[in-house]
Amino acid sequence: MKIIQRIMQSKPWRSVFRTALPIKTNLDRSLVMFNSLALHIQPVKVRERAIRFSYTFYLGMISFFLFMVLVVTGILLMLYYQPAIPNAYENMKDLQYVVSSGIFLRNLHRWAAHLMVISVFLHMLRVFFAGAYRPPREFNWVIGVLLLLLTLLLSYTGYLLPYDQLAYWAVTVGSNIVKYVPIIGKNIRFVLLGGNTIGEYTLVRFYVLHCVVLPLFITSLIALHFWRIRKDGGLY
Amino acid sequence: MKLKPNNAADAKENSTKNMTRRQFMGAIGHTASGMAVAGGLVMVYKFLYPNVLLEIPSRFKIASINSLQPGSHVFEPEHRVFAFHDTRGYFFALSAVCTHLGCTVAWKSEGITGHKEGIFLCPCHGSEFTKEGDVIRGPARRHLDRYHMAVDEGQLIVDTSETVNTIEDMILKV
Repeated sequence: MKIIQRIMQSKPWRSVFRTALPIKTNLDRSLVMFNSLALHIQPVKVRERAIRFSYTFYLGMISFFLFMVLVVTGILLMLYYQPAIPNAYENMKDLQYVVSSGIFLRNLHRWAAHLMVISVFLHMLRVFFAGAYRPPREFNWVIGVLLLLLTLLLSYTGYLLPYDQLAYWAVTVGSNIVKYVPIIGKNIRFVLLGGNTIGEYTLVRFYVLHCVVLPLFITSLIALHFWRIRKDGGLY
Repeated sequence: MKLKPNNAADAKENSTKNMTRRQFMGAIGHTASGMAVAGGLVMVYKFLYPNVLLEIPSRFKIASINSLQPGSHVFEPEHRVFAFHDTRGYFFALSAVCTHLGCTVAWKSEGITGHKEGIFLCPCHGSEFTKEGDVIRGPARRHLDRYHMAVDEGQLIVDTSETVNTIEDMILKV
């Protein structure tokens, strides 16, 4: 314990964690939260009933955990995947049959993606039936809807990447739905696919959307979503 | 005249009649920034719009007249086009792209009740079309794309960039 005490009193430690020692009062404890980037997302005080399992079923946290699984497995899968024809399909097969633990990581990514759609949806149901969308939380509900849309878009863009028959036709149907948007539908589809039919450009575009653009948006919105929970008065 | 910047009504009147140097410079700055952002957005949109496509040419040879016997048909999977030689003696070509959501329709030569000559069936959502491409059953609401074939040195040529609307325009009599 003395060593820990000495480390906590040391200059480098004090330069990172600025809350004055010793931590004795409730104000000190709340300052620990306030002064940390990671912890300040948490509310200073939590009602006991709000952290019961039967209250939220932890659906938000489960969704976030699944997202973290997807980030980690996704980064690893990227190391063996090239978004090109015919490499994409071959890389996917290599991940299944050649790369050590490749099939495990791919399946983990796939199942986490499926489960995340389910858990995000259940999370929305829970919030709806608890009436947690009411003021002052109405804007966090809006962010939540955007997060659901981003989750679905990530699933959709990821679906093309194996570049098998299932992927090709699912994205053909999906991108033809876009064509029904009034006036600009055909242009949106052309820009989305980078052509009139699914091809090399489409694969690269979906890859960039799936691995860079959408994750950036969803990460920013998740941070905003969590921060708003605290600002709106904690879990409801 | 003495300026009274705290009075909102006066300040507003001042901005429309007598612009201060600060307001003028601000307006120039905001306009320039706005133009730069708008120009950037246009550039990004144009950048996303490919000028050269890596797609197959729209004009292609589907079959030779002599090899396509009456009552038979060919299917070209790359362009997704059917070409028929009808028993009544004429040729016609149809797109195999379902007008609902773009799946490839399949030719069912056994047909269904009322359409004994055969139908097109979409595997994705079950749309059905007649041999001439008209809708029998939804969800598709528009007929299959029809092409007028050209004949070049005994070869049947299809151009998928040019569609015709009526069955009469589609039919090729040789």
